[in-house]
Amino acid sequence: MPVELTAPASAASKSALRLPGDPDIWFLIFAELMTFGMFFVAYVGYRALEVDLFNESQLSLDRTLGVINTLFLLTSSWAVVTAIESARKNQLKAVPRYLALAIALGVGFMVIKYFEYSAKFAAGISLTTNTFFNFYFALTMIHLVHVIGGTIVLIVLWSNARGGKYHAGNTRGLETGASFWHMVDLLWIFLFPLLYLLR
Amino acid sequence: MDEKTSLRYQLISAWCGPAFVVTFVIFWLILGHNLPNPSPNLTAVALKERYLGNLGEIRLGFIISMITVCLYMPWSCVLAGQMSRIEGKNMPLLSYLQLIGGALTVMVVSFSAMFWAVAAFRPDASPETFQLMTDTGWLCIDLQYACTTLQMVAAALVGLADKSKVPLFPRWVCYLTIWCGISFFPASLTGVMKTGPFAWSGVLSFYFPYFCWLCWYSTASIFMIKEIRRRMAVAEPVGSSRLAAA
Repeated sequence: MPVELTAPASAASKSALRLPGDPDIWFLIFAELMTFGMFFVAYVGYRALEVDLFNESQLSLDRTLGVINTLFLLTSSWAVVTAIESARKNQLKAVPRYLALAIALGVGFMVIKYFEYSAKFAAGISLTTNTFFNFYFALTMIHLVHVIGGTIVLIVLWSNARGGKYHAGNTRGLETGASFWHMVDLLWIFLFPLLYLLR
Repeated sequence: MDEKTSLRYQLISAWCGPAFVVTFVIFWLILGHNLPNPSPNLTAVALKERYLGNLGEIRLGFIISMITVCLYMPWSCVLAGQMSRIEGKNMPLLSYLQLIGGALTVMVVSFSAMFWAVAAFRPDASPETFQLMTDTGWLCIDLQYACTTLQMVAAALVGLADKSKVPLFPRWVCYLTIWCGISFFPASLTGVMKTGPFAWSGVLSFYFPYFCWLCWYSTASIFMIKEIRRRMAVAEPVGSSRLAAA
């Protein structure tokens, strides 16, 4: 009994220490986080110069759509995690299914963004309207490029998973792609309150 | 051509990388008065005065940088050769892509300097002409970065698939390459913005992506030179093959 207890515990602590996926992908993720960190510092800096303008302009953003997109990305991250769990349990059919769900939510994010941008353009608001909208469009567009890139990565994973590539013995590629997708999610978790909520 | 001569040319070509970075900084950035670069928000008259005040340096900087930008060519060629070795017997698709991306990068960078050299050509032209040529040069280099991004992505993908005992690029360099390629995206906003950090004189559309580009380029150069040096170390001396033939 004690043997049975210690064995999984030590395995768990080992996996907790290990970076998921290709360890070097964390170099890219760290660099990306630093880059967006720089964007956020620039945003807060420029906001301090024109607080009233930023607060007033922020009111025209559609918070409901922002919340929906947040839920989309959070759910898709959960789907990717579940896909990895399925691969570890050798439930090979479930892996592409959860990845497809994650891809659909990624596409859903893009569709919502399309409607959000169209509404802004229809109201005569664009990139050049004022400093707030400079940042709003620039940061969300750069993030959107990451969502598109991440969705392409998920499609590659999905296609591999359909061929049965990922199983208990091989989750490395899946974890590498998933780590990138979680980063895209994380960036939005910062972006959403900064742009839509910060008063 | 014997192996030693070939390796010597490869080494010279790889060293064209650092040479490009140094000459780009001296001529394009410093003598061309692009550090700091003119703001897109500058009035046409102020912009013209900026040219007239530094006419000699700007002319020299851009005319020379149109020559030295071609150092990027042999560098891209040697990288294509190293990549095709990794691609092995398969179609050297990504090596081709990297090569063509490098070649087009030369033209994109070269044409930016070209437009500014034209602006400096007739000092008595109207301020609007100066403004138009300056706009054209900056949008030329800032909106057409995707050639370079593809060059970098191709190099990174081959690097990640490298199964050699001592790979050409460590894996972190491949991810650095992808990240630097991504860092160019804000530069697309220069097509619309005239002020702020995303204008072509801004931190996030100019200083940051250009730094990333040169950072990747310098890092890749180091590992390319190392690879050639490794091959030089094991290459047979020139004399020995002749001896064997005799």
